[in-house]
Amino acid sequence: MHTSHSRLPGEVAFMVLIVAFSAFMLWASFNISRFESVSAAGVFPMVCTAAMLVTGLMSLRQSLKSRLVLESGETAWGQFVRKLTPPTLVQFTVLIVAYMLLLEVLGFVVSSYLFLLLSMQVLGSSRVGLNVLVSALVLACIFVIFQTAFSVVLPAGSLVGPYLPEFLK
Amino acid sequence: MMEALGYFFMSWLDWQILLLTGLGTFAGIYIGAIPGLSVTMAVSILISFTFKWDVNHALALISGIYLGGVYGGSRSAILLNIPGAPSAIATGLDGFPMAKRGEAGEAIGLTTVISVYGGFIGILALAVAAPLVSDLALMFGPREYLLLAIWGILLVGSLSGESLSKGIFSGALGALIACVGLDPMTGENRLTFGSLQLSAGISYIAAMIGFFGVAEVIAQVHELHLTAVRQKVEKIIPSWKLVRKYLPLATRTSSIGVVVGALPGAGGDIAALMAYDHAKRTVKNPSRPFGQGAHEGLVAPESANNAAVGGAYVPMLTLGIPGDAVTAVIIGALYIHGLKPGPMLMAETPHLFWFIVGSLVLANLFLLVFGLTGIRIFAKIVETPKPILLPLILVLSAVGAYAINNNPVDVYWMLGFGLLGYFLKMYGFQVGPVILGMILGPIMDRSYRQAMMSTGNDVGLFFTEFVTTPLSLILVLCVALTILSQTAWWQRWRAPQSA
Repeated sequence: MHTSHSRLPGEVAFMVLIVAFSAFMLWASFNISRFESVSAAGVFPMVCTAAMLVTGLMSLRQSLKSRLVLESGETAWGQFVRKLTPPTLVQFTVLIVAYMLLLEVLGFVVSSYLFLLLSMQVLGSSRVGLNVLVSALVLACIFVIFQTAFSVVLPAGSLVGPYLPEFLK
Repeated sequence: MMEALGYFFMSWLDWQILLLTGLGTFAGIYIGAIPGLSVTMAVSILISFTFKWDVNHALALISGIYLGGVYGGSRSAILLNIPGAPSAIATGLDGFPMAKRGEAGEAIGLTTVISVYGGFIGILALAVAAPLVSDLALMFGPREYLLLAIWGILLVGSLSGESLSKGIFSGALGALIACVGLDPMTGENRLTFGSLQLSAGISYIAAMIGFFGVAEVIAQVHELHLTAVRQKVEKIIPSWKLVRKYLPLATRTSSIGVVVGALPGAGGDIAALMAYDHAKRTVKNPSRPFGQGAHEGLVAPESANNAAVGGAYVPMLTLGIPGDAVTAVIIGALYIHGLKPGPMLMAETPHLFWFIVGSLVLANLFLLVFGLTGIRIFAKIVETPKPILLPLILVLSAVGAYAINNNPVDVYWMLGFGLLGYFLKMYGFQVGPVILGMILGPIMDRSYRQAMMSTGNDVGLFFTEFVTTPLSLILVLCVALTILSQTAWWQRWRAPQSA
């Protein structure tokens, strides 16, 4: 996945981001109790963020020292897309984000069913009939097991919930 | 003694616990075997479902999954040439060549029996060492806990990844996440940025599911094209003669497993690689050359990684310091059930300790049964297509995160940590130290402040006391050696010696 001799596209930008984040959090940690006392509430977060900043800078230095190896005719962005964000991964991630956001609105049953169905399709399971059946079966199992054995209250959904039969809430 | 025996057999006599241990072991084997599913992921998701259960029931299930999962990785390494778990990487080196020669059954049988043997040595070490370590731990003060936690993060950072700096970054990030919310000592808001939601802190279970569930699922999209190479399996149960031949090696490598497992932060994957290396260096006449199907190449890593389970429980139960990522998650489970792992756990709730030992022994026996049977079903389950499997894990992760507080915010945290975890993994950062940092962070924070306050906030005295008390001095040396071993100077010095 990652070698010490060559770097991945976007690696330097990622390291810069984590260094910036560490610096910001160091400042935020400093503001908790400033240098009020060596055993104050802000000291440990300051130590953590200082360690993050130093090691983040070391990682940035390592990344800068390594080379980005591009195949002929390939751009850095092209390699970034190929190695880190291929279209299938992006589509799947978008579905995950949408699923998490719609969980409360559409409820567990509807949003999970849609998510399972669409993501199976996106990930390459092209037999629609099988996907429809497997999603329904699996969801029914999860729903029954978690409602009964684990007593988990699953979201009914603000939009769909009122129209669902009682046993699906 | 009789009381301890009673607690030990509790899991054997209660049919519900018996069933849960068996179920956990069975599920663990498959979870460990399916590439992309990890024991840490399974236990993280499981915690959020089982926190309403009786603690014994939850622990029985978790123990089974842990032990079964460590073993399960070997099956797919042998049969499919895809290690189901990091602890099975070394197993595949000789296991798959054996399978290609038509000896898959022999490889699985030998692996199973030796794993069970290693597991028993680990559990025996736990039963013997934990009470002793627990007594020793009563002598530990805040300074020792601070050093032990620092050592744990350094060890996991240096052993599990390619770079110590990235390991430390991950550990510090985890510790920082744990700082968010109200300070437990003063009640001050820390890193909450005025948000009421953040004042309650960040759920570490949501973070665990994010880092180990969501991030792993997203990363697995890169492996969709991987196809399994299925092998024929015949005659699984190995002969006693074959097993007996490898018991001395298995005993040595199990000892390595116990010690490595007991080190804070180091787990079965490192133990297995070290044991494989030990076998390569010490076995003069292997059954075949290493890498071409040597029995020794199976025996060493498989005995070590299962022995590491018992080893990892030692610091977890006696010091409250996780031995590896899974025990970090199990500590989270114990906290949720109102238990506080540490020296007082053994003194106040000895029944829990002996119950855990008993359920581990039981899980190990189940492992022997399930390990030597059900190969046909196994191949079918393990080959479940990833386009079906990955969305399923995601749904389970979402339910798990939601179930913690019935709050969608935990689901959003899980998602955020999942995305962060994916990029961290891709750019060479390990996520194991993040979880360890989340568990060890509060221990370090509290221990540091207690140690500092005990010196009247005298910085000079605080540092002096690290080298003036014997226990602290030993731990300081361990920390210093770990840092030193990662320096270029040390690597240069070691290179000619190992050549």
